[in-house]
Amino acid sequence: MNITGSVNAIKGGEFLVRETEADSIFIPEEWNEEQLMIAETCTNFLAQHVTPNLTRIDEQEEGLMPHLMEEAGALGLLGISIPEEYGGFGKDFTTSMLVTEKLGAGNSFSVAFSAHTGIGTLPILYYGNAEQKQKYIPKLASGEWKGAYCLTEPGAGSDANSGKARAKLSADGKHYLITGQKMWITNAGFADIFTVFAKIDDDENLSAFIVEKNFEGLSLNPEEHKMGIKGSSTRQVFFNDCKVPVENLLSERQNGFKIAVNILNLGRIKLGGGTVGASKEVITMAVRYANEREQFGRAISKYGAIRHKLAQQAIRTYGSESAIYRASQNMEEATEQFVASGMDEIKAKLKGTEQFAIEAALIKVHASETLDYVVDEGVQIYGGMGYSAEAPMDRAYRDSRINRIFEGTNEINRMLMVDMMLKRALKGELDLMGPAQAVAGELTSIPDFAAAEEEGLFSKEKKYIKGFKKAILMVAGAAVQKLMTQLGKEQEVLMCLADMLMELYVSESTQLRVEKLVGMRGEEACKEQLDIMRVYINDAAENILKSGKEAINSFADGDEKRMMLMGLKRFTKTEDINTIQARRNIAAKLITENKYCF
Amino acid sequence: MPDTTTKIILNPNATAINKEGTTYVINPYDEWYALIRAIELKESGIATEIHLITVGKAEVEPIIRKALSLGGDEAIRIDAESIDPYQTAAYIADYAKSVGYDLVLCGKESIDYNNGTTGVILAEMLDLDYIGFATSIKIEGNSAIVNREIEGGEETDSCKLPVVIACQKGVAEARIPNMRGIMAARTRPLKVVTPSAVSPLTEILSYELPLAKSGVKMVSPDNMDELVELLHSEAKVI
Amino acid sequence: MSVIVLVEHTEGNIKKKSFEAVQYAAHIAQQTGTTATAVVLGSIADAEMEALGNYGAKKVVHIADDRFNELHARAYTSALIKVAQAGESKIIVTLYDINGRAVAPRVAVQLKAGIVAGALSYPDIDNGFVIKKAVFSGKAFAFVNVVSDKKVIMLMPNTFPLVKTDGKASIEKLDISFTEKDFGIKVTAVNKVVGEIPLSDATLVVSGGRGMKGPENWGLIENLAKELGAATACSRPVADAHWRPHHEHVGQTGGTVRPDLYIAVGISGAIQHLAGVNGSKTIVVINTDPEAPFFKAANYGVVGDAMTVLPRLTEAVKKFKQHK
Repeated sequence: MNITGSVNAIKGGEFLVRETEADSIFIPEEWNEEQLMIAETCTNFLAQHVTPNLTRIDEQEEGLMPHLMEEAGALGLLGISIPEEYGGFGKDFTTSMLVTEKLGAGNSFSVAFSAHTGIGTLPILYYGNAEQKQKYIPKLASGEWKGAYCLTEPGAGSDANSGKARAKLSADGKHYLITGQKMWITNAGFADIFTVFAKIDDDENLSAFIVEKNFEGLSLNPEEHKMGIKGSSTRQVFFNDCKVPVENLLSERQNGFKIAVNILNLGRIKLGGGTVGASKEVITMAVRYANEREQFGRAISKYGAIRHKLAQQAIRTYGSESAIYRASQNMEEATEQFVASGMDEIKAKLKGTEQFAIEAALIKVHASETLDYVVDEGVQIYGGMGYSAEAPMDRAYRDSRINRIFEGTNEINRMLMVDMMLKRALKGELDLMGPAQAVAGELTSIPDFAAAEEEGLFSKEKKYIKGFKKAILMVAGAAVQKLMTQLGKEQEVLMCLADMLMELYVSESTQLRVEKLVGMRGEEACKEQLDIMRVYINDAAENILKSGKEAINSFADGDEKRMMLMGLKRFTKTEDINTIQARRNIAAKLITENKYCF
Repeated sequence: MPDTTTKIILNPNATAINKEGTTYVINPYDEWYALIRAIELKESGIATEIHLITVGKAEVEPIIRKALSLGGDEAIRIDAESIDPYQTAAYIADYAKSVGYDLVLCGKESIDYNNGTTGVILAEMLDLDYIGFATSIKIEGNSAIVNREIEGGEETDSCKLPVVIACQKGVAEARIPNMRGIMAARTRPLKVVTPSAVSPLTEILSYELPLAKSGVKMVSPDNMDELVELLHSEAKVI
Repeated sequence: MSVIVLVEHTEGNIKKKSFEAVQYAAHIAQQTGTTATAVVLGSIADAEMEALGNYGAKKVVHIADDRFNELHARAYTSALIKVAQAGESKIIVTLYDINGRAVAPRVAVQLKAGIVAGALSYPDIDNGFVIKKAVFSGKAFAFVNVVSDKKVIMLMPNTFPLVKTDGKASIEKLDISFTEKDFGIKVTAVNKVVGEIPLSDATLVVSGGRGMKGPENWGLIENLAKELGAATACSRPVADAHWRPHHEHVGQTGGTVRPDLYIAVGISGAIQHLAGVNGSKTIVVINTDPEAPFFKAANYGVVGDAMTVLPRLTEAVKKFKQHK
């Protein structure tokens, strides 16, 4: 794992205005031996304990899910990134992302696992005092205790801080009495520890509390009936003057919202990892089915319509994955830099993650939408059997849908990523103004056709990506100028900008990854990955053009509009390539390997 | 064990199963049964030390570490290609004689060449008894009590240590390496030993793939008489 | 210079596969300009041993020691070595079965002979001493050349059909002294499943998989097996779920069978299972799923529910046997 240590390391959001060297990013093809062994343990765990029991899990067989959590704990999988002093293994962030990815193919189990190791444990790990950590973390790391997180209420979803749960100090000053109703609480049915958010008295902001299931005043509703992840315990949790010892206040009073936001940053990128793991598994199932199912005398994998789907599933998954591991390495490096500068380790971790909150939000959206695409086409490839509850695709389809909703809806995350970008620009943390002005200047000048064309395997794609950045800077710059503070209310424009940002980040991440890979293995061994990159960027250009147009047409007019539209066209222009053939090549490899193989 | 220090060795064979690149795994019979049984014997205090022995070139070291992630105190790689069972066994025997083992466990055969002879040859070279097709192994005092498969059933054998035992299903339950083991794998010693040359007694000249089946003949489920007739007159098997 | 072949017997009868081994050894003897000598260890009647002549043995050496009725590999080895030395033999043949596999490699070490485990062909002596055998769990074949002067071959049973001749063999009695080391393994218990046909030697096998839905349905498999005179087997998930005893598990990490007929019921045909059965001469697949991969490896296929097809097939076999 390389530490760039450079003072000039790229900051969160800077991908829009700076270039990145392919050598500086982390790519999944670089896993070391130990990481591969850990990945294998995860895969074996699912194969032995989860996959054969998916029906029993979905039926919520009594005691089964907590038992699986304990088995995972026995293998050490619940303590990957927990410090050794609390019984964990203190592994780096990238390794914990790998575990998340590999265990992401476990349907309802994946959700229980993520909820426990993420929101169920991290608030205490990052914000707990020494006593709280000593008391709770080791047992959460081993799986002896299971964790849950109570933020959402019937009336407070996206608008979390509007929650009505209240806490008041008891007469003797020894307890907080919490009253409120929490909803959609994962793992509630078997959790031992709940991190609960409530406002103390008339506070404006939430505070956080560690609540044990046996505390007086806590009760549960029966399991919710859900579309998918039926095996994941989801319940309403009621607090009726629930007696919580004052020493269980987590962090400072009114710090709850900040805790929630910081944990969400991590949760978002982790969700990305999990959905990529699920995507790969679903693609493997789809390829195998297509290779076996015969119609009109041939395996359906021989037909172009099916090959298109398989290729497209792989392209989108490869893109999501490239973005995820690039960003997680960035977070890790930022954390290390903060530590090196003398910051406390936990503070550094939170700051390092927060640095790349924009990328985390972006990844959450992209990866969850990738998985929904993958399972949708997965059902289609399975045909009638895709609709049957006897085949695995139905479960995959239903289980996927929640990813676009929880951990911040994709709409919220879209608006957040743009909002965070602009806020950082305003605060002077991110220089968008300068580059945006430079682009605006370019619009009025004559393009330099004589400019020397760079040579190199990736020169075209690098040029396109530079163009994408200009397109976004142009539209965003103009939007800010035109709409100013009103921009926050123009949600559709924000969504357009978000889509453009996502396509840029994933395009660039994919390009850099393939460049590094070719450097490692040679062009000949990376033919399909090169095709993936080219098709992704080709399609991204079209999407950026479309989103850009929609935004421009909504707030610009006259000459300015004409100029921007022309500029947009110029910045998103790519050479025509035979994408059908490229997808066929990609599909052919999947079909020969009979699994997701990139 | 009260009197003797019981050391156990294993023979994990590297097995190439992926035609593209080389994805090596531990021979399943070695990993799931022999190695796990050895670890169990150590966990119950009967064995004091486990040595894992492999004959192979440097590229098999990741698999050796995989075995170490399950357990084992020390690994020894005998630096040579494993060409034929006689040569492989000779290398192992040479090393084993220098150490002196109380119990040698191996898999019943390797899934690549399906010979199952290396363990027997090794036993003969070490002048030890060999019990094959073991389905359970107990150590009582200075003897091994082994259930083994025989034609049409099972037999219980008793043999004084040292002895060579080849394991199959029933000897132990396969385990998934846990985090502790994975992290320990790096720290456990992996010794490389250069063997004195031994000539192989056989060589593989070439390979051949089986002929594709000519295509299945479907028979209606309502017409089992037809199937019986085909099996009799066409396939000539009944 | 005779070719030596180890003969196995049980309950006073020579095993059918041992006749195959003798026939094989006789063929090699002919190829190499010598004769075949069968070695019989343990208690068995002379009349039984005469049949060995019908399959090409010129001579039979009988060592009558009672202790041989159990497998004592080192004793067997000593015996074979003595006979081999007396006859200056360069080629030793055994079966590739549980007993052969315990003995032949020991003989090979003492003779410094290369060994072929699971011969599927006669040796090609024009190109050395090259014999075909299965590798990668039956997914491929390898041509093994034995480069040493002496050779040990373990023959895969049920590879060559038996052809009876009216040849005759002379029977010679031999007494050998053994050491304590030769009988170092004590057999303390034997648990033979009575009435069942052992899977490893079966020429007819009926096998069930998860498609049988549960152990309570196995009577259908057993009925068909009984009617056919077949052994019963199962796939790995069935053994793992403890529906059937583990010795019935056939597959890459289970047993390998090479019967004339393998009937697979409710087994999808994963590669690991195929690895254990692809040496079968004829495969019949019965499955409700027409897409089951096993059909691609089958000679005959029936798409149908085991619960109805099995009784019908059993009836049909019964009818067929009655008319014969």
